[in-house]
Amino acid sequence: MKSWLSESAARVVDGAASRWLESRAKRYGERTFEATNRSGIALQPVYGPRDLEQTPVEDVGMPGQFPYTRNLYPVHYQYQPWMDLQIIGYGVATQLRERMDLLQAEGGARGYFGGEAYNIIFDMPTSMGIDPDFPAVQGAIGDCGVSICTAADFETLFAGKNLESTHVSMVCNAGSPGILALYLAAARNRGADTTKVGGNITNYIWDFFGHCGGINFSPRGSYRLCADIAAYCAREAPRMNAITISEHNICEAGANNVQAVAFSIATVIALGEECASLGIDPDAVIPRWGFHVRYGEDFFEDVAKTRALRRLYAKLNRDRLGCRKDASLQARIHAQTAGSLLTVQQPLNNLVRNAYGALSAVLAGVNGMTINAYDEALGIPTEEAVTLSLRTSQILAEETGVTKVTDPLGGSFYVERLTTEIEQAALALIAEIDARGGLIECIESGWITDQVAASAYRWRREVEEGDRVLVGVNRYVVDEEPDIKVFRPDPQAAAIALENLERHRAQRDQAATDAALVRLREAGLTVRDGRQIGSVTESLVGAAQAGATLGEMQSVLHDVFGRNK
Amino acid sequence: MSAPEPLVPRVLLTKSFIDSHDRAIKTIALALRDGGCEVILVDYETPSDVVDVAIDEDVDVIGVSFMSGGQVAVTQAIVTALGEAGRGDLPVVVGGTIRPFDVDDLESSGVRAIFRGGEKLERVVETFRDLAAESRRRRAE
Repeated sequence: MKSWLSESAARVVDGAASRWLESRAKRYGERTFEATNRSGIALQPVYGPRDLEQTPVEDVGMPGQFPYTRNLYPVHYQYQPWMDLQIIGYGVATQLRERMDLLQAEGGARGYFGGEAYNIIFDMPTSMGIDPDFPAVQGAIGDCGVSICTAADFETLFAGKNLESTHVSMVCNAGSPGILALYLAAARNRGADTTKVGGNITNYIWDFFGHCGGINFSPRGSYRLCADIAAYCAREAPRMNAITISEHNICEAGANNVQAVAFSIATVIALGEECASLGIDPDAVIPRWGFHVRYGEDFFEDVAKTRALRRLYAKLNRDRLGCRKDASLQARIHAQTAGSLLTVQQPLNNLVRNAYGALSAVLAGVNGMTINAYDEALGIPTEEAVTLSLRTSQILAEETGVTKVTDPLGGSFYVERLTTEIEQAALALIAEIDARGGLIECIESGWITDQVAASAYRWRREVEEGDRVLVGVNRYVVDEEPDIKVFRPDPQAAAIALENLERHRAQRDQAATDAALVRLREAGLTVRDGRQIGSVTESLVGAAQAGATLGEMQSVLHDVFGRNK
Repeated sequence: MSAPEPLVPRVLLTKSFIDSHDRAIKTIALALRDGGCEVILVDYETPSDVVDVAIDEDVDVIGVSFMSGGQVAVTQAIVTALGEAGRGDLPVVVGGTIRPFDVDDLESSGVRAIFRGGEKLERVVETFRDLAAESRRRRAE
């Protein structure tokens, strides 16, 4: 290992450190001023050059160099600003389109290199792959996201837009495979070439950590479907990001940062091993995997975990999954500020929380950004709140000057040491998962969710006991909460969605739909047997083009790939 | 007069089958357990399943947590199904992301308490215990 300090430099550094210890003792006596961060890592009151020695010199390097601790690109925001992706979704397609147009008019919705970009969230029935006419879901239609169940709904949402230059990110859970298919079918129906269609399907079917709702596929069925989607996209829609490993979701479920980084990387390993076992070249699919990371809980820890995540991903993808391509080693990161830290109490405080979270994400060098709206603990954001979230990003990007230097915290004694400490702690946890038989085994045994729930409860106890401060909740509490305007989605959305669906079913070629669903089942059985990987997604797109609804496709997939409950 | 046996409330906690984010419900479950309750956690179920489990398990209170929509419709469905099963007496408590416009409808469905983010766990546990005691008394009569 190369040394950070020459002997003569080390003497100077050690001399300064011992004088510092003396002056501390003289001024403050026995007090050590130690603290711990969210992950329970002990922090010193100050760091020095010796702390760099925790990290091999070659693990730091320059931005754009393996192991990408300091960033994926030689220069970053000076060349390519982060992509702003406010999460939007409510009502039916025509209603959400109004919010999309507002964002665009305010300077948002900007993709890379001049294109448009939208980050769509679906109502829970859609997100789970359930049609609006399924019993007992009507109260949730269009309530916390947009209701979509046919390719035609997507065609309405993006009417008049060029889907080859519009980046569409879709946040969804168990319904992911079908939602992706509806979108690609809509693109094809509109005459777009799917090899040029770019965007993102979060594909949260991998997520059994407590965030993504109850109904999912069986864990093994989920990982098989993830491989199918990845293989299909690599071939037919190579600009579509086929999965989002959400460190954010794992944190939101209650895990600390070390756990969330470790569980995210363990997910990549499990997915990579699933692909390898099916004969898929990891370099063909991994370049289109990406991360979603949470910011806003512990400023420098958030920066350090990002750097640790990039480093771990590069090393493990190379050494464990056998990746060769640079793009397979580069963890692209979409940031989101922490939703679970938004408070109902004094909601305007959330504007400030979100801005700090966004700043730490930018200092960590993320590639895309969702800054939450300040009123999201109260419901779906108002137009004013969404606009302020966009302004937060614009001020950060265009006023503060933080974008002038790539990896501005690189070389910080504290941040470099913390990066390595998080990397090492995460590696230890990954080793424990390996020892327990791997991630899927740990999901099936319940070990993972127990770890996350225990961490969530510890966090809440700290709030309860005042050891963790939440301004407005357990400190600086006011007697009378301010009156805040909240957004109310149109209660008629359910009726409109049901009417659209009924008309769709009546007008489609039923025989063609039925035949396409039969082909989907056959493809499912083949892929379940480990053959023709990618044919499920291909059949889903075919079924969506033939008029099948999301729920119809989902029930075939559930039959074949099982349910988690 | 001998001291009454300490009450061990039986609490059913659940989320709707089309909801997500179960951090809060799991935290509440652990807090209620630490607060001396027996907790039956049936994550993500349909309203009729919730009512079936509540009756089978002979619980004293039902707690429903929400994050992502359907707050009013799902709660009303549970309350209605309880009534149809002849257990309209079972108190229902709602928590989570409860929007201002949900409150009137939830209250008029007979929900006994509404807890939002930032609520003290102590008060949540106390409310469940009080409602359980009341529920037991009423059934003993």
